Amino acid sequence: MIPILLDGVVQGLQLALLAVGITMIYGLGGILHLAHGQVAVIAGMTAALLMGAGLRPLLASALGVLTAGLFSVAMDLTLLQPAYRYRGEERLLLGLVLTLGLAFLVDGFLTFRYPEVALTLRLRTPSVVVAGVTVRTASIAVSALALAAFAALAAFLVGTWLGRAVRSLMQNEVGAALCGIDADRTRTFIVGLSGLLAGLAGVAQGLFSSLGPEMGTELTILALIVAVVGGVRSLTGTFTAGLLLGVVNTFASYLVGTYITLIFLLWVALVAILVRPQGLLAYWT
Amino acid sequence: MTPDRPRVQVLSLLASGVVLAVAPWVLGGGQYVFRITTVMLTYATYAVAFNLIFGHTKQLFLCVGALAGSSAYLSVVLVRDLGWPPLLTVGLGILFAAVLGGFLSYVAVRRGLGVIFVGIVTLAVSLMFQNLLLGLRRYTNGETGIVTQGLGIGLGRYPVASYYAFLGLLLLALVVYARLMASPAGLAFRALSGDELAAELAGVDVTRYKVLAATVGSGLMGLTGALFADYNGFINPSIFSLAHVDIVVLIVLILGGMRTLMGPVVGAGAFTVIDHLVRPFGQVTVLVYGAFLIILFLAFRDGLVPALRRAARLPVP
Amino acid sequence: MTGVLRVDRLVVAYDDIQVLHEVSLEVRPGEAVGVIGPNGAGKTTLFKAISGLLKPRSGHISWEGARLDGLPAHAVARRGIVYVPPGRELFPQMTVGDNLTLGAYVARAGVHRRLARVYDLFPRLAARRPQRAETLSGGEQQMLAIGRAVMARPKLLLLDEPSTGLAPLVVAAMYRQLTTLQQEGLTVLLAEQQVPLALSFCARIYVLENGRVVLSGPPQALLGDPALKRAYLGVDVPP
Repeated sequence: MIPILLDGVVQGLQLALLAVGITMIYGLGGILHLAHGQVAVIAGMTAALLMGAGLRPLLASALGVLTAGLFSVAMDLTLLQPAYRYRGEERLLLGLVLTLGLAFLVDGFLTFRYPEVALTLRLRTPSVVVAGVTVRTASIAVSALALAAFAALAAFLVGTWLGRAVRSLMQNEVGAALCGIDADRTRTFIVGLSGLLAGLAGVAQGLFSSLGPEMGTELTILALIVAVVGGVRSLTGTFTAGLLLGVVNTFASYLVGTYITLIFLLWVALVAILVRPQGLLAYWT
Repeated sequence: MTPDRPRVQVLSLLASGVVLAVAPWVLGGGQYVFRITTVMLTYATYAVAFNLIFGHTKQLFLCVGALAGSSAYLSVVLVRDLGWPPLLTVGLGILFAAVLGGFLSYVAVRRGLGVIFVGIVTLAVSLMFQNLLLGLRRYTNGETGIVTQGLGIGLGRYPVASYYAFLGLLLLALVVYARLMASPAGLAFRALSGDELAAELAGVDVTRYKVLAATVGSGLMGLTGALFADYNGFINPSIFSLAHVDIVVLIVLILGGMRTLMGPVVGAGAFTVIDHLVRPFGQVTVLVYGAFLIILFLAFRDGLVPALRRAARLPVP
Repeated sequence: MTGVLRVDRLVVAYDDIQVLHEVSLEVRPGEAVGVIGPNGAGKTTLFKAISGLLKPRSGHISWEGARLDGLPAHAVARRGIVYVPPGRELFPQMTVGDNLTLGAYVARAGVHRRLARVYDLFPRLAARRPQRAETLSGGEQQMLAIGRAVMARPKLLLLDEPSTGLAPLVVAAMYRQLTTLQQEGLTVLLAEQQVPLALSFCARIYVLENGRVVLSGPPQALLGDPALKRAYLGVDVPP
């Protein structure tokens, strides 16, 4: 039981890492980012290509993550600008279509140009015994990575001026402007940060199994479900939802089998959304 | 002359009916042309239904494929396993889709789900449908699908007649749409799509009209799906998948122009042309799709019909 | 030119509806200037244009000699003009302390000293420091909004109808604090529905009616003018 639970938590952390970017981009920019999974894939593919060129895995991964961040910033400064000229629902719709188009672009390009390339990171010690339980080193590495990232994010949001600005923008755009906060610049920064986090999640996936160019859509859908269950504007909600759905997913695949697992996961998500449409922790953020 | 005058609408319907009737012949006829034009008609019909559900009542139903597919599979399996007459099973398929769509809408309205949530919920339904088809192998034959030759009304055998059958279906759908929009329900829809809360406060029964739109739209999708199953000769999960139906319908409607009468038709036509142009690119198809999507939406933000209105100074409905 | 706000023949319109018709006014450093007028006269529109939330159709706004019109709201705030809108625009799920701290985003040096000063001015806020802004009463939220504005070390404070919806005692307390701040040198441009408050607080008044300045001058010079009575009552007074 315990190993499965631990596995679930690890997967949950990965999901949360992926979903948090979507939550932030929606909270600040009012756009649902349908190419988020592709950003994670870009990180993985870049790392894989660099490793193929001879770079050390750690350096290649770091550069992959950085590439994902830069790509996201470029996307915000170019593709998304037309969407930002609108507000509310029109912005959402246009952003949806533009990011969907981008997802196709990236998918098409990667599967066409590098169909055989995939990121697989193998660790020197496959497993370790901790307190009598055999744990995969990959699990420890991913958990540590994800927790460190979340801790850094939390520290950033609470302790820095820019982080406070981000929080304020998520709550009241006008109020933030009146305090002298530049919404556009802050938003671009957050899009970049989300890209970095997605890239991290993508690289982490490479630690567990492999990350290939075709995984973009699946990752985006998972991230969307987690973000929505957590309440698309709540960061702590997304974190919790990720953990919850990760655990559910792992238990379900252990008990039932892959096809039914996905259906089960979706049912849980559906129930969560129906019971708490505002998001899991809507009253407690 | 404004776009919503009955005379303008009737004229447009007649004009498009004539154009579409001769189009395949003008394009050279032959199996390939009739095939892609028939498929175009199905997309247009789906888009009319989607226009009602999403365009007018803001319900982002990302389960068009699931609704059409469930009706299709249901009607095919009932004929194959129980020997029931095809027309009955198609009717049952329509009923099933309509009830499912109406139910989803009802639940969403009662729970006060916003646009995105409805999108995610229906997305989940779509994925569930796909997984169900694969899981219920015994009935659905999983990924391989079911051959529907001889299991339906026999559309598949007559490509030319089928084209006109689907054209009739599209025109019927458009007439239903136009009548609905001209009725009190249409007024309610217009109020809803502006400001739902204000409409509610003004006394519009939001639940009733949203569910109505969803039910009618879903039934239409079910009808189209079941007929397409018959025409196509076989069905498999991929035919009714997100990528093959939902995304295309979304593009067709937004490209053509939401909340317009001719939008679905114009959009489907434009999409079919693009699809045809992109095909020879082979492997890079998806990439080119993405690029087209981006360019088109940056150029025609409201859609082609409003752009046509402005450019030609015509009240295109 | 330090601290001088000059509005010159400002025209603001929403689509086809013109709201401000060539409004001109001036605020000099250290002054308390009031804008009064009936509902719909255009006071908030004027303030929104100055603060950068609205773009004027034509006319100039200059601040310390440089053009202000056309700048986005956050840039105007950075120049030292802080707007407290009628909706307050607080951050509802953030604490009182966080709201105030964010006010100092453009003036981070000496934040803690200024926080202490604001808590001195508004002891009620100090008592509610860890509470979320949305749990505060109307009066406390107004004080929080003003406190947040003060945290920005503004050169010019734009106050839009601060007394709206507040009990008289609360209003009186608020104006006492504003007077303190004003005496310390804070320049204030105030829009008020409650005319007596404006008359007693401000050194100069502009009367706005249907988007035009119909009267201006020190309070004593305005007394007895029918335009003032119209601003008071919002109705037409027979001569």
